[in-house]
Amino acid sequence: MKIILKGRKVVGGTAEGEAVVTKEPVSFLGGVNPDKGMVVERGHEAEGRVITGKIFVFPHGKGSTAGPYIMYAMSKRKTAPSGMINVQAEPIIAAGAAIGNIPLVHRLDQNPLEVIRTGDFVRIDADKGIVEVTKKEGD
Amino acid sequence: MNLTDREKKMMDGAFGAGPQTAMRLLVTLGEVYEAKRMIPVSSCHVGGRSFLISGEESIEWMTELYEGGARFQVFTSTNPCSVDFDRWKEMGLPEDLVRKQSRTDACYMRMGAVPLGSCLPYQTGNLPLPGTHFSWGGSAGATFSNSVLAARGNREGMPSVIAAAIAGVTPEYGLHLKENRYGQVLVDLSGLDHSSLRLSDYSAIGSYVGRTLVSKNPVIVGLPKVFSQDQIRFLISAMPTAGAISLCHLVGITPEAPTAEAALGGKPPEDRISVGFEEMKSSFRKLTTTPKEDVDMVTFGCPHCSIPQIREIASLLEGKRVSPNTRLWLATSGHLRNLAQRMGYVEIIERAGGLVLADLCVAPGAPFHLVQGVKTVAINSARGAYFIPGACNVDVIFGDTKDCVQAAIDGKWRGPR
Repeated sequence: MKIILKGRKVVGGTAEGEAVVTKEPVSFLGGVNPDKGMVVERGHEAEGRVITGKIFVFPHGKGSTAGPYIMYAMSKRKTAPSGMINVQAEPIIAAGAAIGNIPLVHRLDQNPLEVIRTGDFVRIDADKGIVEVTKKEGD
Repeated sequence: MNLTDREKKMMDGAFGAGPQTAMRLLVTLGEVYEAKRMIPVSSCHVGGRSFLISGEESIEWMTELYEGGARFQVFTSTNPCSVDFDRWKEMGLPEDLVRKQSRTDACYMRMGAVPLGSCLPYQTGNLPLPGTHFSWGGSAGATFSNSVLAARGNREGMPSVIAAAIAGVTPEYGLHLKENRYGQVLVDLSGLDHSSLRLSDYSAIGSYVGRTLVSKNPVIVGLPKVFSQDQIRFLISAMPTAGAISLCHLVGITPEAPTAEAALGGKPPEDRISVGFEEMKSSFRKLTTTPKEDVDMVTFGCPHCSIPQIREIASLLEGKRVSPNTRLWLATSGHLRNLAQRMGYVEIIERAGGLVLADLCVAPGAPFHLVQGVKTVAINSARGAYFIPGACNVDVIFGDTKDCVQAAIDGKWRGPR
């Protein structure tokens, strides 16, 4: 089953991959290990999840304004997510996506945290603001 | 966004890869905030200069910008950092950190940053003028520039200031726009006995206002007729910690607030609160993280100590001796430290066993956890007390200046908490 969502571009480009979805806000500084590409914040819903090459879906950013540098480093070390979807982007995630060249869309016509589940296959065309979700078999 | 020809060219890479990265970042932020256009900035101030905050990744990013032809087009100064380059041995810091900080600083300076190393840059060379637009990291300075100098700017993340300094512009949103600068909540301080209030008390009030209003612009009424720059700084610097306030109207002081009505733009306030003794005291209790007595470090300088504060601490320490189990650090800029030295205050404080340090940040980018034996830090500011436990993984006691100095002498906290 395919679902098409319409949203708005924050950082352009196309990306595809398996979704990693969390309903909790994310801080890249301290919350994500840029060498392992893994969420490491203690007690976070996505703790232990690898986001490298994935479409990372979360509500918005939180925490330190140094977060963008971590996203930049992940791009350089090839551990970054291939794309990101936010409910509502804010400056920290937006700046990180911009300097790391990670496609990012937000403000979709349906809540991505409800529609997309971890393991679904997601394609993003950020310039057009289109998100295509292929549900995982048996879901 | 509507971009000018120059901005479009920069975006397309006509001025090199560095300015292109900067403009792309600014356009992205502008689109998130639905800004209609870019506006020129005349003052930049980079926060997050501490290597302990920005790490190796900021060096990588700035190197790429520099090699891509990026240079600061706007007067840009720097916030404090993780070390004092002349005193790090006495501070007990590892040489490796000094080297890393020095590499970070080199990235800023070769693009043209002026290393004021201060969170009060408006005292020593970076003074935004009324009605002009700035891009500042470091929320204490940005709040002062908005609230006291009537210059206009948001509280920025780290890369966005660097981008604005390179591109010379910033997206027009938030506090750049007059309609977002009006006061929203009336905060009445007339129930307090101002003649008895100390700097730490104003900081406690600011923290309460930040927690309560979160991101609404406060309109403060009921301040005493004479209110010093230090009192202003302590009151407003704690507001952007627990909350995200970056503009506070101080009626009678803020140029945009000759009266409460003017500050509110002629509209009724969304809400009114009054702050009394109990609300103020609640900040001291809330921010102190330990019931322990032993104090390993007493620090002053969040925001950086002014000359009047250094004078006060020198007078409290004259002829006294800091406990051998406790360190006492005052943080200020190199400029103000030189002045304090000429005035004899540095000698008094250092003879008593304290250190007056230049360039150092004693809150978000502080290196307390790297100094052997430091588990509990006492500080006289709610802003500092908010940041220290999370940034340095140590306990904090928030108390008054006099009680902090006494704790340094006794090695134990005997003040209220």
